[in-house]
Amino acid sequence: MSLTTYRETAHTNSYEFTSGAGYVLPEYEFVPPPELKSATMVRHPIVIVGGGITGLTLACSLARLGVKAVLLDEDNTVGVKGASSRGICYTQKSLEIFQRLGIFERIAAKGTQWSVGRTFAGDDEVYNFDLRQQGNFHLSSQPPFINIQQFYIEAFLVDRVQELGAVELRWQNRLTAFEQNADVATLTVETPAGSYRIEAEHVIDATGSNSPLRKWLNVPFDSRRGDDRWCIADVRFTTHPPAERHTWIEAPFNENRAVWQHLMADDVWRIDYQMAPNADPAYVSREDVVRERLARQFGPDVGVEIVWVGPYAYRSECVHAMRHGRVYLMGDSAKVVSPFGARGGNTGVADADNLAWKLAAVLRGKADAALLQSYQDERLEAAQQNVCVTNRTARFLRPADGSERVFRQAAIGLAKQYPFARSLINTGRMAVANPYSQSSACTYAPGSAAGQSVQNVPFAWADGTAGQVNDLLNWAQGDLLVLVFGDLAPAALQRLRRLCLDAPVRSVQVLGTDVPAQTVEHVRDPKGHLQGACHVFGHAWALVRPDGYLAATGETINARLVAAIERSLGLRGEKTP
Amino acid sequence: MKQNLHFQDADAFYEQLLDAHAGLSREEAELLNARLILLLANQIGDAKVLKACIEAAQRVPS
Repeated sequence: MSLTTYRETAHTNSYEFTSGAGYVLPEYEFVPPPELKSATMVRHPIVIVGGGITGLTLACSLARLGVKAVLLDEDNTVGVKGASSRGICYTQKSLEIFQRLGIFERIAAKGTQWSVGRTFAGDDEVYNFDLRQQGNFHLSSQPPFINIQQFYIEAFLVDRVQELGAVELRWQNRLTAFEQNADVATLTVETPAGSYRIEAEHVIDATGSNSPLRKWLNVPFDSRRGDDRWCIADVRFTTHPPAERHTWIEAPFNENRAVWQHLMADDVWRIDYQMAPNADPAYVSREDVVRERLARQFGPDVGVEIVWVGPYAYRSECVHAMRHGRVYLMGDSAKVVSPFGARGGNTGVADADNLAWKLAAVLRGKADAALLQSYQDERLEAAQQNVCVTNRTARFLRPADGSERVFRQAAIGLAKQYPFARSLINTGRMAVANPYSQSSACTYAPGSAAGQSVQNVPFAWADGTAGQVNDLLNWAQGDLLVLVFGDLAPAALQRLRRLCLDAPVRSVQVLGTDVPAQTVEHVRDPKGHLQGACHVFGHAWALVRPDGYLAATGETINARLVAAIERSLGLRGEKTP
Repeated sequence: MKQNLHFQDADAFYEQLLDAHAGLSREEAELLNARLILLLANQIGDAKVLKACIEAAQRVPS
């Protein structure tokens, strides 16, 4: 941990200063909880603390599976009071999750799609990319990225949870005390109508980077802070910049420091300026100073409406364990990263999606409680990876004086001449669906893509209409999905049928165009997209989990498949030999 | 990491390296070296070899 002296400023999502027209946020009614008048202690299976993007994604995922839970939020709205902005950039994997939850259409209608990014140093463009031309981004039913203000997604999730039922959202309910023992956790909650106590079997800490639970539990974590300072201006223009992500490593109009230019919903642009090290946040966010900075970049004649201003410093933190007794840490409660690459909010969404189906399976008696340990295996690996990646970006953007700065200068110079050096220019590595390489719930084998995410690719239903992977996951309703590619020997067919009767597993045969189907549940994969998304070839099976991750793949319907199913339900403690 | 001679012409390389530095200020030389390291590292590519080279450079007594 490196400690530097600097003026105390707000870190990541607790901005101190706002100005401008802002946003009108929805407000939710406080309803006195029944426990306020109850003399007997009520025990809830799941209590989620915190109604940000992470907590609400979990609430919605549980509601979709019909699992009862209570969510406590200290506020009466989404976003942070003061028309705050926060996250803006959502990855394909997050969008695939939101599609399953039933809010993707609203996000797509409100948000802005982008795929082109350009990076500049001085007046030169160092390199550019178009995500639609890269890798397999184009195969999913969801675009590579959508930019939208975080509170919109949160509001869509609230609406959806209320539509689905099962999860009770309790606004203006603040957690004030917590204790747990081997049997149960007890929470004390304060409301405008008084305090009450409830018991919980599972507690989810989605309270964010200032988590009170983490303090009360004395959760150990690694931390790193630097002197890098930034100031966001969310603005509307009279003339529009191109719908692309632009980043400057050294912007001539910002004293050769970095600048981010990103678009989002409502025609609002996020312009994020790197400030001098240890800059005074009050000064850099003063309206006249912000306007002068914008005029230097866009010219004095461009009309600018300031929607929101937020100075920030970032820190990086990562806990050593994401489960503490009955408490599961999630999103920013577990790790805090710099904003580069959109690895904050998207990681929280993935944390929630990972735990939701596991909690549901355990509470319904379909999986062993040991499965919950895999949340920690998988999501701690993801958190550590995201912290590592964002720290590298932060170091590139704020190199230490001396060798670090010299190497950056060398890399920028080379990047202008040679393609290889462009890969050294690090203005943020965009978030991905983190792979799980050491999970107790995955069955690894050479050549298998176990632990990787399956994209939401299209296929054809038996009647020829279009379907997508998410339709199959929805149909499985929280059970595991075995996709069997190609025709089956009669004995294998029998084993598969038996397996689906005995275990919480549903199977679907995946066939080419003209092959006769052997099972009622079959789909057509004429272009091989589904097979490609599962990273299998020829005759094969793929065990897909409710979160769209591959638990295992194999060739024949045999004991390996049975063992893989057991492992992905927490019935085999040991990791893959 | 190769520990035995791999240069086709070690003396000529060494001379070119010194010539490239001739007349440079300390800052200019530092930047030249940084560019050179990045160019050469990309020629090697192999992550294990690069790691071994960095560690070997750290171990040599100055």
